[in-house]
Order: sequence, then C-alpha cells, then structure tokens
Amino acid sequence: MAAVTDPIAAAPRRRADSHRGLVFILLAPVLAFFVVFNTIPLLWLLGLSFHNFSLTSGMPPEFVGFQNYYQLWLGRNNFWGDLSRTFTFVAVGVTIQTLLGVGLGLLFWGSRTMPGRRIALTLLFAPMVLTPVATGTFFRFIYDPNFGVLNQMIQGLGLPMVDFLGSPATAYWAVLAVDCWMWTPFMILMTLAALGSVPKAELEAAEIDRLPFRKRFTLVILHHGKFILMLGILLRVIDSFKTLDLIIPMTKGGPGQQTRLVAVELNKQAFESFNMGFSSAYAVYLLLVSIAMTSVFIFVLNLRRRRGS
Amino acid sequence: MVDIVLDRVTKRFGSQTAVDALETTFGSGQVTCLLGPSGCGKTTLMRMIAGLEVPTAGRILIGGRDVAGLPPRQRDVGMVFQYPVMYPTLSVAENIEEPLRHDRSVSGGERAKRVDEMLDVLDMRDLRDALIDELNTGLRQKVAVGRAVARHAEVVLFDEPTTNIEVDAKLTLIRAIKAVTTRLRQTIVYVTHDQTEAMTLADSIALMEQGRIVQQDAPRALYAAPRTRFAGWFLGNPGMNYLGTEVRDGAVHSPMLAAPIPLPGGRNGQVVLGVRPEWITVGAGRAEGEVTDCVIGIGGRRLMTVRLGREVVRIKCSAAEAVAPGGWVRFSVPPDRVVLFDDKGEAIAALTQGVPA
Repeated sequence: MAAVTDPIAAAPRRRADSHRGLVFILLAPVLAFFVVFNTIPLLWLLGLSFHNFSLTSGMPPEFVGFQNYYQLWLGRNNFWGDLSRTFTFVAVGVTIQTLLGVGLGLLFWGSRTMPGRRIALTLLFAPMVLTPVATGTFFRFIYDPNFGVLNQMIQGLGLPMVDFLGSPATAYWAVLAVDCWMWTPFMILMTLAALGSVPKAELEAAEIDRLPFRKRFTLVILHHGKFILMLGILLRVIDSFKTLDLIIPMTKGGPGQQTRLVAVELNKQAFESFNMGFSSAYAVYLLLVSIAMTSVFIFVLNLRRRRGS
Repeated sequence: MVDIVLDRVTKRFGSQTAVDALETTFGSGQVTCLLGPSGCGKTTLMRMIAGLEVPTAGRILIGGRDVAGLPPRQRDVGMVFQYPVMYPTLSVAENIEEPLRHDRSVSGGERAKRVDEMLDVLDMRDLRDALIDELNTGLRQKVAVGRAVARHAEVVLFDEPTTNIEVDAKLTLIRAIKAVTTRLRQTIVYVTHDQTEAMTLADSIALMEQGRIVQQDAPRALYAAPRTRFAGWFLGNPGMNYLGTEVRDGAVHSPMLAAPIPLPGGRNGQVVLGVRPEWITVGAGRAEGEVTDCVIGIGGRRLMTVRLGREVVRIKCSAAEAVAPGGWVRFSVPPDRVVLFDDKGEAIAALTQGVPA
C-alpha cells in the first residue's frame, strides 16, 4: 500500500521538517528585531521622502512626489558641495589612516622583543575606544586659540596664534587630523591582524632569499593580508562617510560650511530644522551612495578571491 | 666551497634542551643528512645554521666565519622548507628568478641562463610560465628546490622537503634534488627522518639523538658499524637484532657463532650481540629456532621472525631459503659481521670489515 511509508525513509524527512520549524523559532526574535527596527523605518523613510513634512508647522504631510529629490539634485542647501567635501574627507582621511596604520603596524610587529610594547599598544588603542563626542570636545580645547595647549606651544616657538577650528583655511584639515588621530589605531589593529595571517615559513623563506623589504611586503605580506586590510579599509570608508559626532562638538559644521559633511547637514535638517521630508530624501541619497561604495568594495574583494582560488 | 663547523652549539627552549653542546663539521661540497627521530633537535640545528634561530651558546662557522649572531640575509644560505613555500603571484620561472634579481653580482643574462638551466635540471621547461596555483605540491616543492639552489648559495639547507609530498612525486623530487646537488656541489645539510632518503642522498649521515650527534659517517659505514645500539636500531628496516650473550674465558660464545669471538681486555659477564637481519646465513649452523612469522618484503625477499630460546631474531633471506611459520630453521652468522655492545649500549669492537649489501 502506498500509505505505508518506509519508516527509515520517512524519519529523516520528519526530522528535517521539525528542524526547519526550530530554525524559524530561533530566528524569529532576530527577524522581528530586524523588521521593527530596520525594515519598517527604512520604508517609513522612503515614504516620508516623497512628502513635504515639517514637524514644527503643525501641518499634515503633503505628498510632493520627487520634489525633495529634485531640489537636492539641483543643489539645494549646497548638497553637492557637502557631498564632495565628504568624499575628500573619506578619501584623504582613510588614505592617511591606512598608510600610517600599515606603517606603524609593521613597526609594532617588528618590535616583538621591545620592552613596554604591550603598554604602548594599549595606549595606542585608547583613541579608538573613546567616544567621538568626548574626543571632539578634548580637541576643541586643544585647538582653542586662547587657552589651548597647541597654541601655547606655537606661541612658545614665537609663531603667531592660529584659530584652528575658527579659521576657514584650517578648520577642515584640523578636523581631518583628529579623525586620523582617532582611527589610525584601527588600521594598526587591522594590519597586525593581517600580518598574523601570513605564514611564518613564507616570511622566513623571503628572508633567506634575501628579498628586500619592498618585495617581502608585496609578494608575501600583501598576498596573505590583503583581504583583512581591504576589510579594514571598507569599514573605515563606510564609517568615515557617516562622520558626525566628532564634528558637532568641534565646529558644528562651520566656519561657514567648511566642515559641513553630509551627516552633519542631515542631522541639522532632521533634528534641528525638523524638515522630515527633505531630510528623508537626503538620507535616501546617502544610502544609495553607501550601497554603491560597498558594492564596489565587495566586487573587488570577490574578484581577488576568485582569481586567488 | 665552504664547510660548516659547529662549535659547542646549544639551543634551549625554556627548560628543554633541543640541541646540546653539539660539535661537528659538515664537509665542504658534501651532502650531509641529519637523520634522527622526531624531536631529536635536527630541525632546530638546521634552523640555527639558517639563522632562523639564535643559538643559546656556541659558534656556527660557515667557511670560517662565525655567523651565529647574524640574520639569515647576511649568511650565504638557501633553504627548502617542509611545505613548498612559494611566491604565489609569480610564475614558475619568476619564482626561481626572484632571489637572483636582488643579487648585484648576477647580470641579467646570467640570471636568464641560470633559470633556464634550473628548469632543465628540474625537467620543468614546459611549466616555465605556469602559475603556482596550477601546480601540485610535488611540483611546487621542485620549484622551491630550484629557487633555493639557483642562487648558488654556498650552503643549501633542506628541512624534510619530502614529508608532505605524495609518494609518487616523492621519488621525482628526490631525483631532482640529487640531480641539482651533484651538479653544483654546494655544501648541503638535509634534514630527514627517512633513512632510505638519507641513504640515497647523503655523502655523510649525522645521526642525532636527544640533541646530540651520536655518529657521523658515510651511509654504508654507519649502517655496517653503528657505534651505539640506537644507531643500529634506527637504521635498517627492521633494525639490528640484539641478543644478550655471555662472555666466558675472554671470548663471546653464542650458538649463532661458528666460533667464539675473542674479546680483547678479557672482560667477563654479558655483552650484546648486534646482527643485521640480512647478515644471517640460513640453512646451517648450531643455532636452531622456531619460525613464528614469515612475510614478503621488498624484492620478494622474506623476513622471518624466529624464536631462539628466549630471544627473537629477525632474519632476511631469499624465498627459497624461507621456512613457513611453525617450521624450524638453522642459521648462523659469520664472526666478522657482528657488532658487540657493552651494557651502556656502546659498541665495543666493530668486527665488521665487509660492507653489507
């Protein structure tokens, strides 16, 4: 009879079914969290971006179609200026952090027998674990023209006082320098992790083959460590693109618009001016940019891995 | 050509002594195999010669120059590792060429010549432009051999290069190593725990045990006249038979011996008689034992296990001479093919003159 199932054949299927049920039960909290705090707000944001809606006007949201997007595209609130300023911030900042991080990482790695190395490493990672708001506040004081420690030193050398955060010529670079101070340790950490993934025998062989440092770096270290390094750069790019909490306590985006990065302007539009519709469209643009950048990175990573295997 | 002189070289890791005040010379232009069981310190010793480990004490002289404190790049050494170490982004030829590029004394033309020559010797001309990814482990190790040797370093070190290679590729690799080494006559130190490999390649075998070289001799001499019981046991498959034997009236008496062996010094008591399984003659003699096992070995030779009183003797013989288990066999050993050991396990007198097969 067809109804009589072979118990041996049926057993694994039944187990697979109950297994699948269990998988859903275990996943449910995460899925619920994701939907409530991620998917719904995202859809909400998307909806809002097609409306004209100000929290202060007391008026209900008014559907305006693509008007918010169009206005941004035309450069309302100097959108393109903010974006290019942010791109420069990301490109210059991450480049400096990567170069410094790799360089210092190599030095640390080569100094395994140096006394006090552990303490030095711990101190070096301190900036990374500080709250950016605290870091920004510290540096506002350090940069302060009147009682800042940096100007004390400059004047001690007999040079004129510099208003680092107040002057349009220096503000942007002063903020960028703090970002580098804060995040270079992260790239050191990634470099040390990348170096840890290099097989010892290959380094020894390169040493015995008398390869110069440049070759040892490109042929051996980068070959094994590039994945971790790329991951570090990717994380830095995404994070750097969103820089906000470091800038607010230092310059609030000023002087003028000198340090106004996209996240700063978005924050101002949404939570100071309460232009919810406009800022939503702004956020959607930034999301698209982020997705584009991430895709490029992931594509490059896959490309290398595919070629490597 | 240079020799390597080790002068009381010691290496300790914490409380463990890996290499213990070792003193020896590895001959110039010779292949010296460091042979020994795992953990005897042979790899540590070689890494110290390479400069990858710094000795706790002692001097390492390469061609008369003390290099013990120098980094690898300041010594003229090439090395092949246990795993094939490659520069994976480069092709086969580029891998061999890379170390040469950084040697100012080698011109571009000379470089190309050496790479071609090496590819010829390794029989890898067709794979010249192949990428490392496309090669199996055996071929990769061949490339590693080429890279280590092409630089014409005065010393080339091999750290168990065949351990991780499949059996088929192993023979090709050993043949390649042999071809390369006989051609260039560099001073070579070759670490292995495989005695067949050592026998095939070595001009001289340095047998190591617990951080010391217990005997260093030409392969045949080492095989025929081990200076310790360890050496007799470690070399040979199976190793030497050891039989406790009585000394009476200044001579060694054993049923296996046609005539007693006179012992100089007239000592009495016990000695150990060491006999290689293939030195024993089957068919005649005063000794008679029961065969408990008989297996077929290499080349159709038989390996019999024979019980002789309380002792067990292993005998290698031809198929015609072999006796099935349960049967009895008579055998003897010529007195000039026996090694006698004292109670400390050291050879008293190597009475062997001939060289075994």
